[in-house]
Amino acid sequence: MKHETINRISFRQRLSSYRNNPLSFLLLLLVWCAMAATVFILLFIVFYILVNGVPHLTPGLFSPVYTTDNVSALPAIITTLLMVGLSLAIAVPFGIGCAIFLVEYAKKTNRFIRYVRLTTETLAGIPSIIYGLFGMLFFVIALKWNLSLLAGGFTLAIMVLPTIMRSTEEALKATPDAYREGSFGLGAGRLRTVFRIVLPSAMPGISAGIILSVGRIVGETAALIYTAGTVAKVPENIFASGRTLSIHMYLLAGEGIYTDQAYATAVILLGFVLVINFISSFITRKITKGQD
Amino acid sequence: MKKFATIAVAFGLLSAILAGCSGGSGSATATPTATESSQSLGEITVISREEGSGTRGAFIELFGVEEKDANGNKVDHTTEEALIANKTDVVITQVAASKSAIGYISLGSLNDTVKALKVDGVDATAENVSNGTYSIARPFNIATKGTPSEVAQDFIDFILSADGQRIVSDNNYIPVDANAATYAGTKPNGKIVVAGSSSVSPLMEKLQEAYLALNPNATIEIQTSDSTTGMQSTMSGICDIGMASRELKDSELAELTPIVIAKDGIAMIVNKENSLDNISSETVKEIYTGVITDWADVA
Amino acid sequence: MEAVFFITACASILAVLLICFFIFVNGLPAIAKIGVFNFLGGTKWAPLNTVPSFGILPMIVGSLFVTAGAIVIGVPIGLLTAIFMAQFCPKKMYHPLKTIIDLLAGIPSIVYGFFGIAVLVPFVRDTFGGNGNSILTASLLLGIMILPTIIGISEAALRAVPSSYYEGALALGATHERAVFFTVFPAAGSGVLASVVLGIGRAVGETMAVIMVAGNQARMPVGILKGVRTLTANIILEMGYAADLHREALIACGAVLFVFVLLLNFCFSAITEYRRRRE
Repeated sequence: MKHETINRISFRQRLSSYRNNPLSFLLLLLVWCAMAATVFILLFIVFYILVNGVPHLTPGLFSPVYTTDNVSALPAIITTLLMVGLSLAIAVPFGIGCAIFLVEYAKKTNRFIRYVRLTTETLAGIPSIIYGLFGMLFFVIALKWNLSLLAGGFTLAIMVLPTIMRSTEEALKATPDAYREGSFGLGAGRLRTVFRIVLPSAMPGISAGIILSVGRIVGETAALIYTAGTVAKVPENIFASGRTLSIHMYLLAGEGIYTDQAYATAVILLGFVLVINFISSFITRKITKGQD
Repeated sequence: MKKFATIAVAFGLLSAILAGCSGGSGSATATPTATESSQSLGEITVISREEGSGTRGAFIELFGVEEKDANGNKVDHTTEEALIANKTDVVITQVAASKSAIGYISLGSLNDTVKALKVDGVDATAENVSNGTYSIARPFNIATKGTPSEVAQDFIDFILSADGQRIVSDNNYIPVDANAATYAGTKPNGKIVVAGSSSVSPLMEKLQEAYLALNPNATIEIQTSDSTTGMQSTMSGICDIGMASRELKDSELAELTPIVIAKDGIAMIVNKENSLDNISSETVKEIYTGVITDWADVA
Repeated sequence: MEAVFFITACASILAVLLICFFIFVNGLPAIAKIGVFNFLGGTKWAPLNTVPSFGILPMIVGSLFVTAGAIVIGVPIGLLTAIFMAQFCPKKMYHPLKTIIDLLAGIPSIVYGFFGIAVLVPFVRDTFGGNGNSILTASLLLGIMILPTIIGISEAALRAVPSSYYEGALALGATHERAVFFTVFPAAGSGVLASVVLGIGRAVGETMAVIMVAGNQARMPVGILKGVRTLTANIILEMGYAADLHREALIACGAVLFVFVLLLNFCFSAITEYRRRRE
């Protein structure tokens, strides 16, 4: 915030300005309260999981083979990674391509844009259980892929497509037209402008979308049970069935026998999401370095 | 302004952390201090399972919650006020967290966060189920279509052998045949898929591990879903053995051959702070049909 | 190259058509068999009785109540927090806060469910009475669950507003708060609305967590402290066991849910269209 240093005002000045503007003060209070509430709730949940899960984190949870004694989470962790990779490999090109088309190529009045936007928003609103039913009816039964990573990956790819598309679109829109005009003015073509100028500057927004998607993939249960199956070992190929961490947790918790380990798995899941967020923010920083 | 803000936030975070810790640890180590007289607990929180659940099916049938009407049609009279839990652990967690709750679960899933009631004066134990004094039990079925593959047949032989049945009783389920012969397998090669009921699959996983220790040539995959999916997968040939925690339906019996591999008792559970120890099956029925709604009326 | 982008843009249309086709083809015959009025207007759901009843009105009303509750709780807090993140946040706090919010987006709903049973249910029971498994509890939990979605997208939308808007407002003598709330916030309108729609979508469609705290009684909602069953809960509770007409009726439930989402999006696009026309 550059302007802050220019019109810096003292605390006292600010207070007196709030006396003249009670509404502003009220809004300030509201915003801070909302933030405090959010942080409080979120930290509460995180600590709740940690308190219940950390005491049950045992080395057995990370042994290479799942047995009923160690209820190892390692195969599930690997499967989750595979699933995230597979789903993103399908969804990211489509999502970004779609957003580029909408923002950079299509005319703003195009009817086609409206259809794409309407369908994307429809996709975003479809409950995961319906994706599960659809994936089961289409990929598993109609295409005869059986319960497999592939069927799960495609189902999830469709599910996260709108998230990636929407956030990319917003990020592309937010890129100032001056960038594009500058690039065109220097003689670059449309494609070069998109890939060299617009996309890199939209990277933080895009990666935010990808993070949200990864989160959704990692946390998904309802859509995967009917498409990817629940086999507790690392799938040999994409046509084999496997369980992701959250399905693993769902099943552990299910019969009330492994509740402690289920909480421990939730801790692993948290760590997982944390690592993914860290990596993606690291990548974003690398890409955007020297851009501004 | 900034400094003030930072301090305020730091304080907020700190209190959040403290609250989080106390809340979390409090619920984690819920040690009952004193058992309350059941009469003073007020309105009963009735917890049931979803329609179609093998546990619920057996429960409503055994306690007479399901009755035939004048036309001979079966009607499930479970009170509309009953909370519906979709998993065994949800029932346990609900009962553990609520003093006024009552629920029913598989005997094999019983743990010490809740209290199992005697029904008509009989303890809910595997022993009492197998000698017939505790009559609230249901079968664990597996089903195959046509002639099972060599591995599937060998695995079934193992389950029904003395070795397999010992694993059944070790895990608090009730063996079907106390005098089975020991397993003398042929150790065939191959891969089979077992799919179905989430109630049966914890037991099936134990059986599978023991079997694979004896026959390393085989590969067994277990898909955990539910009884109906398991039966349908078996009928369509996606899996070799289906698991069901209920009796098979007529449409399923037309295509599949069921085998009972174990029996499972159903335990009535209440919160540990509830002083009630024994409940009559008639009372259970009245609670679940909504006739009795307050603990004060429980005799 | 434009053609390639065009094709990728068609993907979402294709996906929606496929989903429509499969859900409706599998669901509509059941509605026809049961009768539209009996299905949508019936208040009794007893699929396993020998003479089954397939009325989903209780579930429809239940979904509406719970979603409305989640919006009332989640949207104000979420939007205000997004404003905080975009315009009020001291630099040093931003990173930790962002990390926590991103983390929360990744927690599986089943974990929220456990949290709901062990913390929210006793809290509601002790504070407001009832047995704790209620519309209120489900609304609270869903309100929390949609926070990351609403915060993430609204914040991005707020940041995308050109800083000249803010500076202009300040230059005209507005306070920081007034500039943010009455200039920047309205300018971010479409993004903010999108975040709310996505949030509503998540609330309507949430299954695994709601199922643990809502009580799931298949009867008309009788009070905010009484239990309720949502459409999604109805599907996942019984899908595993259902066969024949019962199964089709559950897929038909999915179809009804789907129509809900379509209506929601239709309203959303109608509003954005109206706004654009006015500008």
